[in-house]
Amino acid sequence: MKRTTSALAIAAMVFGSQALAWEATEGRPYEGQTVNVLAVKSSQFEAHEARLAAFEDATGIDVVYDYVPFPNMREALTTEMVAGSGDYDVVSIMDQWVPSLQLLLQPIDDEIAAQGTDLSDFPKAHLRHGMLDGNLVGLPVRGHVQLLFYRTDLLEAAGVTPPATWEDMVTAAKAVQDSSDAAGVALPYGKLNGQNLMVWMNLLWGKGGDLFGEDGSPVFNSDAGVAATDMYVGFLQDDQIAPAGSAVFVEQDAVNSFKQGNSAMLPVWWWVRSQLTDPEQSKLSAEQVGFTALPSVAGSDRTTYTNTWIFGVTGGSDNKDAAAEFLGWLTDPALEREVLLDPELSEVVAVHMSNLSDAEVNARWGGMHQAAADALATADGIEFGADWPRIAEILETAISSLASGEETNTQAALDKAAEEIAAIR
Amino acid sequence: MNERTLSYALLVPAFVIVIATTIYPLAYSFVTSFREWDLTKQLRPSGFVGLQNYAHAATESGFQNSLWVTTIFVVTSVILTVVLAMSLALLLRRTGRLHTFTRIILILPFAMSPALIGVSYRFMFNPEFGVLAKGLGAVFPALEGTPWLANPDLAMAILVITDVWHWAPYMTFMCLGGLASVPRETEEAARIDGASNLRIVFGIILPQMKGVLLVTAVLKTIFALKMFDQVVTLTGGGPGTSTETMAFFIFNVGFEWFDMGYASALAWILTIITMVISAWYVRMLLSERKMATA
Repeated sequence: MKRTTSALAIAAMVFGSQALAWEATEGRPYEGQTVNVLAVKSSQFEAHEARLAAFEDATGIDVVYDYVPFPNMREALTTEMVAGSGDYDVVSIMDQWVPSLQLLLQPIDDEIAAQGTDLSDFPKAHLRHGMLDGNLVGLPVRGHVQLLFYRTDLLEAAGVTPPATWEDMVTAAKAVQDSSDAAGVALPYGKLNGQNLMVWMNLLWGKGGDLFGEDGSPVFNSDAGVAATDMYVGFLQDDQIAPAGSAVFVEQDAVNSFKQGNSAMLPVWWWVRSQLTDPEQSKLSAEQVGFTALPSVAGSDRTTYTNTWIFGVTGGSDNKDAAAEFLGWLTDPALEREVLLDPELSEVVAVHMSNLSDAEVNARWGGMHQAAADALATADGIEFGADWPRIAEILETAISSLASGEETNTQAALDKAAEEIAAIR
Repeated sequence: MNERTLSYALLVPAFVIVIATTIYPLAYSFVTSFREWDLTKQLRPSGFVGLQNYAHAATESGFQNSLWVTTIFVVTSVILTVVLAMSLALLLRRTGRLHTFTRIILILPFAMSPALIGVSYRFMFNPEFGVLAKGLGAVFPALEGTPWLANPDLAMAILVITDVWHWAPYMTFMCLGGLASVPRETEEAARIDGASNLRIVFGIILPQMKGVLLVTAVLKTIFALKMFDQVVTLTGGGPGTSTETMAFFIFNVGFEWFDMGYASALAWILTIITMVISAWYVRMLLSERKMATA
């Protein structure tokens, strides 16, 4: 049995029109317990923390957040897993780390079912990363799709419209380069956490290829894979529409190039928008930054690579039920909506289809969320295995080698990568 | 308790700390290097696999590449650092306000965090807004827009430069210390006999500095073999695998791929290489001293 939490209902009335679906367990059975949360540093999670009072008042559960910067997050999670000390009850984990950190988590199917959480409201591409061997081990709280950001002024001056296909993007980029000093598009080709794979994967899918076949063996070295790789590396070497230093750009370098006004287009995660228009970080005004769906390969469906952060309960937690209660509150669509509509915040991230399609949310963010919903409707996401970090390293090395000119034969580079990956699978 | 027992008892805390923080981890990693331990599947090491992890290292291309990269890095950075340090020491051995001031500011690069050095140089060599990239482009127009870190050879060269920039000051102070023990009388006598500066340096000073230079080289070699921070923040091991040093590769195997058994074996290979090189240097040093005292 649940009872409606009056404090949260009042908060919902103040901040938005959608009532909270989550209800605290009747009788406050976990009163006095403490849920320790290990979260990656993020303004979205800080916004959740700022709203904890309502949850704590309703449940009597004390929630304590510890934040770790992204570069150190995986080590922090690994330490927690190996120590098994139960220092943290709830942890945030990025999708591609989940299988390799599976020993840190425990199944929470029953507990989340008891919370009444509507799993069907999560896009498939996000929810799949909370599943391990058919069990639910975490719920998506932070999820990203890719969009193409562009300089409205530069594209207009060049007489081109935002591109719908990658082929159009090359044309638009060249037109911008002819009419301004800016590079056409900022892309990452350097090595860091597989960041140079994130656009390449879309080209691979668009060309009809994939990473692995049904039997799990590498197939990215197919004709489609070679064509996709040639296209991606060709943006830099043949079309010359990316900045000269792109061969070692990681994602943040590409973002910086756009923010500094050195590039006219930027395919990247949607959450980056707040950086692009932040006057303390960017030379660009909000009017100069437009966005559109990520281009597709001509004649193919639109695709997007996704990124998901799940929150799960650690195996060493002594407060599993209290932790699940917290997850129920944390993943309430109304809480997410409240953050999205908070005029004091510039937080765009949403993982609930109900919010992605919400009229008020889209009105505030210029339709960005509907674009994300459209992209997520057909996005499957990637099946990450425990060996993904190594696979990503092999693949990103191949892309980096080709982009830098260290390797010139695309087929040979992909074959070598496929051979190395086959050996570890 | 007699004095002898008391002295041993007082050593116990230090002994326990050394065992807990150094001996035990070393021994544990040594044992682990003969076991299989995939951290994605098990939280503790499983069965012994004999020399399998070491045999894998002998055939795996990633490790062999890192061995080659480390060799290039160590040889170039040690030679350049020692030569530069000795040259700077010769320039700074004189007394005077300017020399004293220069000695003081010389230590600044060594005071910087290696990770920060990597980040700084990454920015400075950015072809879009890097001060060094722009400066070089202004002086040599042909270099304008050169993607410095995108070329495997240039990336390695810049990695070496950052390391030399970091270590040369410290090594300079070591050389200055050595120079202080070189008797000036010999130099002055040679000068009176008409010897040139170059002759004095190569004929008188350097032979007497051999011991100091060997120690400098040993230390620099050990530090160079462990090169990690700047690789992470400057190049990420790229482009491709062109700057993947052994320490960086071992970190990836252990903490990215979670293959702890193999990572332990690789770490011990690196340790053994370091010990062998150090032993060789020390042996040379001792034989040098024997000859000097004979």
